[in-house]
Amino acid sequence: MDRTLFTPKGTYFFHHPTQQSNGTQPDMQSSNNQPQTSHTSTSRSSDSGEPCVTGKWASSLLKECARAISDKDSSRIHHLLWMLNELASPYGDCDQKLASYFLQALFCKATESGHRCYKTLSTVAEKSHSFDSARKLILKFQEVSPWTTFGHVASNGAILEALEGETKLHIIDISNTLCTQWPTLLEALATRNDETPRLKLTVVVTASLVRSVMKEIGQRMEKFARLMGVPFEFQVISGVNHLGELTKEGLGIRDDEAVAVNCIGALRRVEVEERRRVIQTLQSLGPRVVTVVEEEADFSSSRNDFVKCFEECLRFYTLYFEMLEESFVPTSNERLMLERECSRSIVRVLACDDIEDDTGEDCERREKGIQWSERLKEAFSPLGFSEDVVDDVKALLKRYRSGWALVPPQQGEDHQLGIYLTWKDEPVVWASAWKP
Amino acid sequence: MMAEDGLTLPSSIRGFVQEPNSNPNPNPSANPVKKKRNLPGTPDPEAEVIALSPKSLMATNRFICEICNKGFQRDQNLQLHRRGHNLPWKLRQRTSKEVRKKVYICPEKSCVHHNPSRALGDLTGIKKHYSRKHGEKKWKCEKCSKKYAVQSDWKAHSKICGTREYKCDCGTLFSRKDSFITHRAFCDALAEESARLTSVSAPNPIFRNELMNGSISNPQAHIIPQFSSVFRPEFVGSEQLVGHLNADGQKSRLPLWLDHGNSHLNNHIGVNTNGSFLAPTSAGLPEMVQTAPMSMYGSPASSQNQWLQRCSEASFTSSTLPRVLKEEEENKGNLSESITSLFSSNQNQQESSAHMSATALLQKAAQMGSTKSNSAFFSTTGFGSINSSLNNATPFSSYPHGRSNNQVHKFLIRQSNQSDSMNQLINSTSPSSTMGDGLLMGDMNSTPLVDTAKNNMDHFLMVPSNPKQAQQIAGKFHASSNEVERGLTRDFLGVGSDASRPFLPQELAKFASIGSAMGMSQYSGNH
Repeated sequence: MDRTLFTPKGTYFFHHPTQQSNGTQPDMQSSNNQPQTSHTSTSRSSDSGEPCVTGKWASSLLKECARAISDKDSSRIHHLLWMLNELASPYGDCDQKLASYFLQALFCKATESGHRCYKTLSTVAEKSHSFDSARKLILKFQEVSPWTTFGHVASNGAILEALEGETKLHIIDISNTLCTQWPTLLEALATRNDETPRLKLTVVVTASLVRSVMKEIGQRMEKFARLMGVPFEFQVISGVNHLGELTKEGLGIRDDEAVAVNCIGALRRVEVEERRRVIQTLQSLGPRVVTVVEEEADFSSSRNDFVKCFEECLRFYTLYFEMLEESFVPTSNERLMLERECSRSIVRVLACDDIEDDTGEDCERREKGIQWSERLKEAFSPLGFSEDVVDDVKALLKRYRSGWALVPPQQGEDHQLGIYLTWKDEPVVWASAWKP
Repeated sequence: MMAEDGLTLPSSIRGFVQEPNSNPNPNPSANPVKKKRNLPGTPDPEAEVIALSPKSLMATNRFICEICNKGFQRDQNLQLHRRGHNLPWKLRQRTSKEVRKKVYICPEKSCVHHNPSRALGDLTGIKKHYSRKHGEKKWKCEKCSKKYAVQSDWKAHSKICGTREYKCDCGTLFSRKDSFITHRAFCDALAEESARLTSVSAPNPIFRNELMNGSISNPQAHIIPQFSSVFRPEFVGSEQLVGHLNADGQKSRLPLWLDHGNSHLNNHIGVNTNGSFLAPTSAGLPEMVQTAPMSMYGSPASSQNQWLQRCSEASFTSSTLPRVLKEEEENKGNLSESITSLFSSNQNQQESSAHMSATALLQKAAQMGSTKSNSAFFSTTGFGSINSSLNNATPFSSYPHGRSNNQVHKFLIRQSNQSDSMNQLINSTSPSSTMGDGLLMGDMNSTPLVDTAKNNMDHFLMVPSNPKQAQQIAGKFHASSNEVERGLTRDFLGVGSDASRPFLPQELAKFASIGSAMGMSQYSGNH
């Protein structure tokens, strides 16, 4: 076996197609040790024209493997998994990284060890998770990419406008952004109005990873609110396993408060069958405005079709990884950590069945904005983002590198079902606002 | 005095009730006095008060040419234009001093300038005022979406929007306000109640109220982030300051700046400050000092020295504050003027670039926006939470994880000793980043580096038990990951020729156990 051809940097051996003459047939189980097999995939990945530098070998290999798993063709599975393993690396280029993380998920799927793997990954992540590391990570990410700040600006704008003139605000925050959204809101509250309203912030935490740092975060928020001169109260609700269990009393909502519910990256963590109920629960809290921000991908409608789900997953994470690669410096540690976080999600979506054995909302089955809108319309009516908010978002995007754009609310429709953040013309994040 | 013109009203004496935000010493500063100007909003009692309707006030071209109907803002311009039509024209001379000065009042009834005693002396001024306060904001900044009613305001803002940098107390520079705000909220500098060093900030009402509540018992804590430029961290209720204040004539300014009508503050300040603090400088209050966090670990004595050193190199400039504040001018004209006066007369530093504390700005802006509602709130809850946060403040020097793995420690110590290039590699955001956001200052290196190293380690490595491996691993971080990985090969289970190949132990175990289950034993040829 000529090992030199199987360097992790896959492009090398693609430069020598002439060395392998045969092997256009996919079924090469007898020769899985031979270089030709790799070349096979090269010739098939001719979708990009020339299979060398820009060859998206990972995509086709991974899809092949997914198909093989779906077909339960075990020798083929072995073969492809082995090839992927040779080529993959979490430290390489985009293709290699994708290969690496998806390989893990495919392996787990093939061996039905998804849950165990997921638990392991979660435990590892939890152990190394701390306030400082989380803070550094999220702030750095927000600095180089508007992926999260897009949702923040849109939501804050909608909340401020909806609660304009109120003196007692209560925001129920069900999100994964570790309160990084709120400093700018606090600043706006302090500077925008003549009368600074009181703000109570209730953070609902379901992911165990987040619970440990919430105490520190709470302290920082309190101090910052003092700095800003905003009367502020902060509380964390962490005993909730299921968002459907939330109640007004449980959250401490008082009748004289104007409530806003902020869900960023939260609804996708609810098991698919429970989503309806959770939305009803949110409605029962009596909010003036509900802001929902989710990543634009559909892992939900295809959840019974492994290959389809896999392809969508691959599409989305390819975008995400490419975005990360272009946003961070090449040696960034933060990017690496973000990629690792993806590995958990990928395993969860692809290799874990939706069994309700989890201690918390860990589902990760994303849905597209349109799908969420259908669900939300049952309980709420759409609230469009005002021109000012859209302008704020545009101004935000200008502060980042090029490649980002905003799809504004569609003018022609009756209802404005949110706005989209696009990365190289692909919609990636959806933000919307709803009213009762 | 009476006059024929029914519109003219005698202005009442200066000293009419001032608006809450105004200042008994409004800005005389910007003008080297060429002609005698009354203070804004306090017109000459002899002046003729003119009340224009909103329509005529906002009319831009009031002088129309009879031939071509072209409109002009000034009569002089119209006259010159008339020459072109061969019409008789006359340029009006500047009339002699018999002509009475005209002052204008704002047509908006609820406005404070509606009252003749608060009329403004300039037509352009009243027009701008009316636009700003009561007009529609038609001009919008592209970069930050801030809206303006007056075009010149908008132009002025656009010129400087994005050019100003914000500096956090920890030393990091930001070119974007939103990233600065978010950083500030989570910054350790904010949390460091026990920090020895002072930080730059303008006082805010919260601070004022805290003092009012007699929170002297824990002075070090909450005072530091707020106002510690004046107050030493470890002050001992010394009464000296009061004397100093008086001697330096500072006292008169303190109430203005800190205390909109509340005089308790003076006494508290007096008690809370250390006289020696002020000794090196004559301008105690406005001498906002930028601090670096490096002596956070230091002893009080050393921090005092450092502080004294820093006095002389105070980078916060009072001059930048007014410039910054002018952005708020349209809404807060009086207050900014008063602040400008406060600081400009105290200015003893060159205007340095971008060294002003944006925290000051934030607080100032917050101060302007907030009202007395704060005081009620903070007298009860605010103080309580201060204490609790204090007690829970994480000591800066402890590792976040609290891990006590010896090997981890050894490795980390090695790491922190190892190389500065690693520092830069890990800590530096790219200096050429388009965001322009700054590097985390070197003084904070030890902790972030250690933290990063720890994270790297946790994620990448089996705990290295020998220095060689540590070196190898460190070497990995130096080179770009691509180059490092190029030469490595491994078999299916990830065990390769290089023993320090980063592969999570968990993954290995998983592969091994499952491989056999799948009948893939030919691949489980591990070790």
